[in-house]
Amino acid sequence: MSFLQPWMLVALPIAALPIIIHLINERRYQTLPWAAMMFLLAANQMSRGYARLRQWLILGLRVVAIAALLFVISRPLAGGWMGAATGDRAETTLILLDRSPSMQQMGVETAMSKLETGQRQLRDTLRTLGGGRVVLIDSGHVRPQELDSVDALADMPEAGPADNTADIPAMLQEATDYLDANEIGRADIWLVSDLRASDWQPESGRWAALRETLLPRAQTTRFRLLAYPEVQTENRAITVTGIKYERADRQKRILLSLEISGGSVDEPDRMIPVQVEIEGSRIEVPVHSSGGRAVLRDYPLPLDNAVDSGWGRVSLPADANPADNVAFFAFEPPVPRVTVLFCEDDAVRLPLRLAAEIPAEPSIQHRVLQTQRGLLQTVPWEEVGLLLWQGVMPTAGDLEAVEAFLAAGGQAMFFPSRSSDTGQLQAMRFGNWQSNATDQGVSQWRGDQGLLAGTLAGGSLPVGELRIKRFTTLQGTATTLARLSGEMSLLVRHHPAGDHAGTVYFWATTPHPDDSSLGTDGIVLYVAIQRALAAGAAALQSTADQVAGSRLAERWSPIVIGDQRPHSEPGYHAGVFQDGEHLLTIRRAPAEDQLQIVADDQLLGLFRGLDFTRIDDRAGNYASLIHEVWRLFLILMILAMLGEAWLCLPQPRSPTAGGRS
Amino acid sequence: MLPDRKSRTFIEPQVVARLAGVPLVSRRPMQGNVSGRHVSPHRGASVEFAEYRKYVPGDDLRRLDWRAYGRSDRYYIKEFEADTNLRCCLVLDASGSMGFGSHGLTKLQYARQIAATMAYLAVQQGDAAGLTCVAEGITQQLPPKRNAAHLSNLFDMLERTEAAGPTRLTAILHELAETVRQRALVVIVSDFFLPSEELRSCFEHLRFRRHDVAAIQLLDPSELDFQFQRPMRFLDMEGGPAIFADPALISQRYHSASTAHLDALRGVVMETGVDYQQVNIAQPHEEILMRFLVGRLRNRGRR
Repeated sequence: MSFLQPWMLVALPIAALPIIIHLINERRYQTLPWAAMMFLLAANQMSRGYARLRQWLILGLRVVAIAALLFVISRPLAGGWMGAATGDRAETTLILLDRSPSMQQMGVETAMSKLETGQRQLRDTLRTLGGGRVVLIDSGHVRPQELDSVDALADMPEAGPADNTADIPAMLQEATDYLDANEIGRADIWLVSDLRASDWQPESGRWAALRETLLPRAQTTRFRLLAYPEVQTENRAITVTGIKYERADRQKRILLSLEISGGSVDEPDRMIPVQVEIEGSRIEVPVHSSGGRAVLRDYPLPLDNAVDSGWGRVSLPADANPADNVAFFAFEPPVPRVTVLFCEDDAVRLPLRLAAEIPAEPSIQHRVLQTQRGLLQTVPWEEVGLLLWQGVMPTAGDLEAVEAFLAAGGQAMFFPSRSSDTGQLQAMRFGNWQSNATDQGVSQWRGDQGLLAGTLAGGSLPVGELRIKRFTTLQGTATTLARLSGEMSLLVRHHPAGDHAGTVYFWATTPHPDDSSLGTDGIVLYVAIQRALAAGAAALQSTADQVAGSRLAERWSPIVIGDQRPHSEPGYHAGVFQDGEHLLTIRRAPAEDQLQIVADDQLLGLFRGLDFTRIDDRAGNYASLIHEVWRLFLILMILAMLGEAWLCLPQPRSPTAGGRS
Repeated sequence: MLPDRKSRTFIEPQVVARLAGVPLVSRRPMQGNVSGRHVSPHRGASVEFAEYRKYVPGDDLRRLDWRAYGRSDRYYIKEFEADTNLRCCLVLDASGSMGFGSHGLTKLQYARQIAATMAYLAVQQGDAAGLTCVAEGITQQLPPKRNAAHLSNLFDMLERTEAAGPTRLTAILHELAETVRQRALVVIVSDFFLPSEELRSCFEHLRFRRHDVAAIQLLDPSELDFQFQRPMRFLDMEGGPAIFADPALISQRYHSASTAHLDALRGVVMETGVDYQQVNIAQPHEEILMRFLVGRLRNRGRR
């Protein structure tokens, strides 16, 4: 049991006062010569059980009455999780609210989500505890926001559901920064979360730094985790994994790929009816589910001939979590993938041209525009997705054109000149050529993302089979994507400054047969160029998608947003937005479909050494975490006093006793 | 009237004067040695006709009823009731418990007043009065006599009597039942804190010896009320172990025990025909004695 004013419990020994008075009274006896000893002896020999019980009952009731009075003054709270130090009221209460889609999960036989339940519990608890300033840091904006009162949580869109995943370490860091910046002494940090590993990232290196920051505040900052770790097995999540536009025999259609996850591995095969809505037309597509997982690949959906671009959504039947039952998509005819190619060396030009010209998907048109030095400004850059450059770095007007192209989101891939080159681009430059007696292999490369990432089938690119005979050094600040066995970089990535800037890749060698096997074993080169080209083409498309979690610019107006989502936070809710002819799809964070929960030990390890209390709750729980129960003790005190009074009533005297002659 | 004018605190002339109007009578025939005002079991020379009986040779011819002879031609002796005096044996419990008194007057002092007044009344009406003080044994004894000098000795003995030691009243009563000549008035003044069954045996023994037994039980008001506010250590006035008790806790049981004892004693005296008086010593002894005398007057012995 906890108390709002626990210091009053210091007076609890006063409850022993009746016993002390009783003992003192017993010691203050009188001595009296007595004649009628036979009556006393007889009285002593009679059954004294009830009399002794009555005496102890009276004493006990007196003690209970005083103790109950002290408890009433101490303002007890029902719910023992708060510890005895509740009375040290915090100056500031920070609420770290996980608004991620997984928090929309409903409880069993209730229509209340974890987020709603957590909000309500927080409101009730903090209203009971009282206290000073209340600051909200929500998982969407991850910035402190002072509230007039904790009741404001009920109406704030910033406390409502969102579709981005939470970044708990970042929220805690923000909370710590706020406490430091405002020089707050005693603070309570309330975390409301469902403990999804994707939100907590317990393996992240940020936790170590965060703990270093928090440990000095261990004496003044309390962490209360209101956890909703319950995972509903009866919940499925739908995700659009791909959308392709096709025109065949004058019939337009889109090929929809989606994935449904979240079912139990043991469940039998079944058909899941998926509602697909495209530009107002709605059809139901049955998707076969096996082992709790359902995948639909390139399902053709015919389009009206008048429709060239648009949006749609797929939805699942209602289940435990409505937030992951809907996914949005936008479509348009594919943009031709145009590559601008400049090569000094003819032997290099061919493999580059072929890699850029051969389409990976037959439906998408590929073109290569070969250009010459000094003519780059004449290139129609608005149609270009990729610049392939092999030779001395561009200069003067060419350099300006390239910089502008990159700033607009274009992709560029640079190969070194086979002669010496002193030019530079984006502070990156090629060094001197080096060659070894034996061919060098690629010792390390990023296979998880980027140009050299593994294939969709899960296999890795044969990067390790490349043989490098000659290579240059790469000078400048960039991210290495592949490294030679001699610790020299083979491929680096550089991001120019600017919000919408594209990406520049620098290779340390060329596809020339005398330099490397990039051209002869063209798979790696082809895939890298195609991926860069796809990324460049995507920047040219009028449809785009992004994961929820960043605020959209004012120019984007919503076309459709998920159910019960406010329009005041564009970018944090899944939906489709429009800016002129451009469509932007905001997707639910994919990590939210993962069900892993942070293990208890792991969680305790994150807060080891800190004043941390975990309170497990469940969605739809209407019972308050704490409530004052002083009335109960008041009633107890009254009952004890009544009982004591009744026991102290004088016993009726026998009519035969007393003076009689 | 008294040869010794020595002042006695336990006898009040005014009380005696007021009680003198009520005679001390016996409830059954007494066997005195002189003529008196009490019924005797024998025929005597009083004026009250008793019966005729046939003449047997040797009878006093003066008591022949010649008129009866004239009517029936038979010799009848005319007999009259005999009047005799009584021997009042006062048995005074002088054990330690009689020294208790919560209102300035101990039970022994109260008993002195009763015994002295009763002895005075007896001697004044020509009866004999004796005194036996009893504690662990017979501490003092004065056989019944009826002269005034004896009364003075009796008062002296009363004055000397102190409450001390345990009581062996029942054993002494048995002894007195055997030693006191038959048909005496035995007045026992005590608190009777004794087992009622032992007292029954004593009373039955005294009745068997044809004594007229009167029991006056003296009780202090605090012994009846037992109202104390704080824990007490009760010291046994007769030398027994002390008892520590909280009166608030045991008062109910004390009253139960006292009531049970008094009820049992009342049953014993009713069954054994003892003239019983339970006395709260807060009451004036004159009132008690008056009630005692008047009560006996109603039940005086018939010829």
